[in-house]
Amino acid sequence: MSPLLEMTGVRKRYGGVQALDGAALTAVRGEVHALLGPNGSGKSTLDKTLAGTVVPDSGEIRIDGAAARIGGPRDAHALGVAAVYQQLSIVGDLTVTQNVVLGLEPARRWGFLDHRAARARAAAALDRFAAAFPGGLPLDRPAGSLGPGEQQIVEVAKALARGPRILVLDEATASLHKEQVAVLFDVVRELRASGVLVVFTSHRLDEVFALCDRATVLRNGRTVGTVELAATDEAELVRLMVGDAPRRSGAPAAAARPSPSAGAAATLEVRGLTTERLRDVGFTVRAGEVLGLGGLQGQGQSELLLALFGAARVTAGEALLDGRPLPLTSPAGAARAGVALVPGDRGRQGMFAARPIQENLSLASMHRRARLRLALGAAAERRAARSMVERLGIKIGSLADPVSTLSGGNQQKVVIGKWLLDRPRVVLLDDPTKGVDVAAKEEIYAIVRGLADDGVVVILNSSDNRELTELSDRVLVLFEGAVAEELSAAAITEKRLVAGALRLTPGESP
Amino acid sequence: MSAPSLEAPRRVLAWRPGPVALAGAVAVALVIAGEIVSPGFAGYGQLVNLMRVAAFLGVIAIGQTIVIIAGGGGVDLSVGKVATFAAIIGSRVMAGEDGDLVPAVALALLVSAAIGLVNGLGVTLLRIPPFVMTLGMIGVVQGLILAYTGGRASGQAAPALTSLVNGRVIFDLPGLLFLWLLLGLLAVWLLRRTTFGWNLFAVGANRTAAELTGVRVNRTLILAYVLSATFAGLAGILLLGYTESVFLDLADQYMLPSVAAVVIGGTLLAGGVGGYAGTAVGAIVLTVLSGLLTTLDIGGAGRTVVNGVVLLVLLSLYGRQRRLRS
Amino acid sequence: MNAPARREIWREIRLPGVQLSGAATVAMLVVAVVVNSALQPNFWNSYALTSNFATFVPLVAIAVGQTVVVLSGGLDLSLGAQVTLAGVVAVQIVDGRLDRIPLAVAAALGVGLACGALNGLVVALLRLQPIVATFATGFVFSGLALVVLPTPGGSVPVEVTTAYRDAVLGVPVALLAILGLALLWWVLRRHRVLRHIYAVGGDADAAYASLVPVTRTRVQAYVLGGLFAALAALAILANTGSGDPFVGNELTLASVAAVVIGGTALTGGRGGAGGSILGAVVLALVTNIVFFADVPTTYRQLVNGAVIIVALALAGIPALQKSPASRKRRPVA
Repeated sequence: MSPLLEMTGVRKRYGGVQALDGAALTAVRGEVHALLGPNGSGKSTLDKTLAGTVVPDSGEIRIDGAAARIGGPRDAHALGVAAVYQQLSIVGDLTVTQNVVLGLEPARRWGFLDHRAARARAAAALDRFAAAFPGGLPLDRPAGSLGPGEQQIVEVAKALARGPRILVLDEATASLHKEQVAVLFDVVRELRASGVLVVFTSHRLDEVFALCDRATVLRNGRTVGTVELAATDEAELVRLMVGDAPRRSGAPAAAARPSPSAGAAATLEVRGLTTERLRDVGFTVRAGEVLGLGGLQGQGQSELLLALFGAARVTAGEALLDGRPLPLTSPAGAARAGVALVPGDRGRQGMFAARPIQENLSLASMHRRARLRLALGAAAERRAARSMVERLGIKIGSLADPVSTLSGGNQQKVVIGKWLLDRPRVVLLDDPTKGVDVAAKEEIYAIVRGLADDGVVVILNSSDNRELTELSDRVLVLFEGAVAEELSAAAITEKRLVAGALRLTPGESP
Repeated sequence: MSAPSLEAPRRVLAWRPGPVALAGAVAVALVIAGEIVSPGFAGYGQLVNLMRVAAFLGVIAIGQTIVIIAGGGGVDLSVGKVATFAAIIGSRVMAGEDGDLVPAVALALLVSAAIGLVNGLGVTLLRIPPFVMTLGMIGVVQGLILAYTGGRASGQAAPALTSLVNGRVIFDLPGLLFLWLLLGLLAVWLLRRTTFGWNLFAVGANRTAAELTGVRVNRTLILAYVLSATFAGLAGILLLGYTESVFLDLADQYMLPSVAAVVIGGTLLAGGVGGYAGTAVGAIVLTVLSGLLTTLDIGGAGRTVVNGVVLLVLLSLYGRQRRLRS
Repeated sequence: MNAPARREIWREIRLPGVQLSGAATVAMLVVAVVVNSALQPNFWNSYALTSNFATFVPLVAIAVGQTVVVLSGGLDLSLGAQVTLAGVVAVQIVDGRLDRIPLAVAAALGVGLACGALNGLVVALLRLQPIVATFATGFVFSGLALVVLPTPGGSVPVEVTTAYRDAVLGVPVALLAILGLALLWWVLRRHRVLRHIYAVGGDADAAYASLVPVTRTRVQAYVLGGLFAALAALAILANTGSGDPFVGNELTLASVAAVVIGGTALTGGRGGAGGSILGAVVLALVTNIVFFADVPTTYRQLVNGAVIIVALALAGIPALQKSPASRKRRPVA
């Protein structure tokens, strides 16, 4: 059978990150094709390329053998591609009917809307999912007032109302109840029977095995293989996703340096921390210890770090530093109390791209050196910045250059350095080596180890499991906002981390 | 690394000395054009006169620069009205007496600062868009002026103020120009050598990152609006010294030029990049342009259109937003 | 008005903590009417009603236009200047002659359309921030208005001004004009363009992914804004009988305030012009109240300015309840 969809050599670069680096995907009509890969492997970007919301830098897409140019969602629609995103295309203030027909509203003469036809179309699209709406179809309710699972179903119904030949489902089950998943799967099987190609992305492997025919695995933006799922098991898939990489280079972190004595005073104690995305998180970290946060990304790791830094709304729980409660209400308060955060999105949250390296380094600590907390001495600021440039080995031209002129690794060192000047007692690192080259990675690892050796409490979230095995004394695996598993020293292996993250059973809906 | 995202800011920054030099060149070109059209335009006395007019705009634009650097659509449209009000308060309290000069100036600046505080609170706590908040404030201040004066301005500048502003010092230059220099240096120091200034640039360059670096963002923003109104009040007092008596719309027309001067000077409306030196040059450019248009017999209407077009052109050079498609 | 539209107008605006609802708008209207009728001696007599409504129409029209722009996620600070420009162009054309009225009306609408198209292009294609861009174009428009008509003047045929203050079957013509504007809105609500404007203002990324032509929709919103500004200009001419190159200045901000009082979110995508019409009437009544409450002349402006600020603050009060981080859905980290 000739393939319905062929994507080859797809490349896309976002700033310093090569999201897709020659990805390929070939699938046939009447197939449910899974797209798998670890965090940051480029699954979503590939999905969006097909749906037209991302335009690739290069690459070829053929649909039904003909070269396709997809310059926007309208092109994708014309080619018979419809997509369901995790949370992109529902307009919350419009009703369910209005959302389902959005962009393709049935109209009478002169563009006046035909409400009856719209309702009929929406009702027809949602009818297949009737079992997922026990209270009846909510056609006239604002979509934003529905639960997350119901919104997701509306998204799927909207895509189906467009009569696609190719349907892209990107983590479409993430917020569904078990019953809703069952309804969705029935519909997908019907579509398959009628010859539609469904490209299915999910982090739940059991769903992939239950629904899909074949799977294509991505790693670091490249396609590493396509397998028949009937002839594959979970271990094999995990191996494909993680790769045959050699065992980690160094010894385990705990062995690399004297492990903190068991009797040392517990410095950071977190109890029952709860936010919009965290449920009752508790743990204790001793001074000089590196606590890793693992699991699939988006399970609350970043939220936990933000909450400890006073940047997420905490609804319950507390954090004690040396027995004294940390102010969890504002980042400024947290910083005063000795907490530092190296955030996950360097460009948006960590640095001031257009400002000089000097200011980026000084900002967190300058009030200590300023006269009357106001007047800055140029020489003192330069000295402070220089000391950090030397200590961290940051490669710069001049302190007056904007920080955006540095490489990703050096930018990250500047973000870390601004906090080290403030002599923090707790350092929270959110994926600090994302988009950083190998050499800089090692240097950042050395900085993290050095902090622990100096008796700082370090909490490290990482999407790179190898990094967690290399740096952490213990790892908390998070799943849907709660601690699912705690791995200590010897138990921290990549296989254990991946298995723990995937949980291999469908999660309960929130 | 040569990633696109690294290129863009680098190019913007490579431009940074650009706008100031460019604006300077435009000012010179305008003066030459003026001399050609109407000989005598570039005479010493005429130029000093233009600089004096530019000084009032230059001082008002100090505050505008601060607010615009703070980013997030920050702008203060009420500066002209606040300057007017400060001059009215000042003239009435000092009433031509040197002895009352200090309390008059103090009161005028205090009231200005209070107006700035209200602007700042509205923008930060109530999240009213700065354009809308400060535009609304114009109506309130106008109301305060009417209520305070009963519709007729009274009072007179103290002689000391007048001689400070108009008195000739060195090279036959009026004292006003030295005051402008002094305030300009103060502005540059404030922006480049204080924790406030660095926090301000940080807030403007990346508000989220500033918050996550422990900067008290709202406090910085409120202070920016207070300073803006205070510098506007100061400009009003200087204007009072120049005109000696006040009228009810004394400084109103500075609203648009104060924004345009900042943009001409290369400060990005998006915030986080810029400085006062550029603004000062921008104030001179606008003043010379206005003088030239007057020489060409183009009236107030034409000047307004030209100013609006100049601002639009500059905005489309500097102020674009992101695309929906990535 | 059928059921869905009514729900749209009266629907409570759901924001955490405080709800600025259709009920709140109506309550404000009732209070304003009661206070006004207590203070203004002959409030309910037909002459007073006619003359009140005659002064309300321009603000109502411009408020509807501003609503459309705000719903699309923008804001138009040049609307007042557009009113001025459309008005002076129309008055120069009509020049006191009855037979030139169709031409003058067409010219005013043409001016509104052109101004709106310019704004739309600048905002949607050049991607300038709407507030700053329309601030700049506003100066261009008001400068042009001064070129067309340097000082107040020009004349409108007396038949027009008389008719405008007349009544049909006891209903003031100006009230009919307001009802006409409401009807126009009701018709527009049924058109695809308005649906797309709601979608773009509600979530531009989602609308783009859903095949809505975002750029074209934004231009259309500003064009509609300009057309309503032209209608406001015509109402002013009919009411005053002459042109004024400064008349629109104060309307811009009042239109934003009316939108806010009417329960439309300044963030876009939520609300409707029904509320704004009531909001405009409330604001106009407040001006009346200030006049008849014997507030000293010199304090009137202050009270009016304060009312506008308070109205704008109403939109911001819910912001107190929310932290910046939770304002917009966050992407999954």
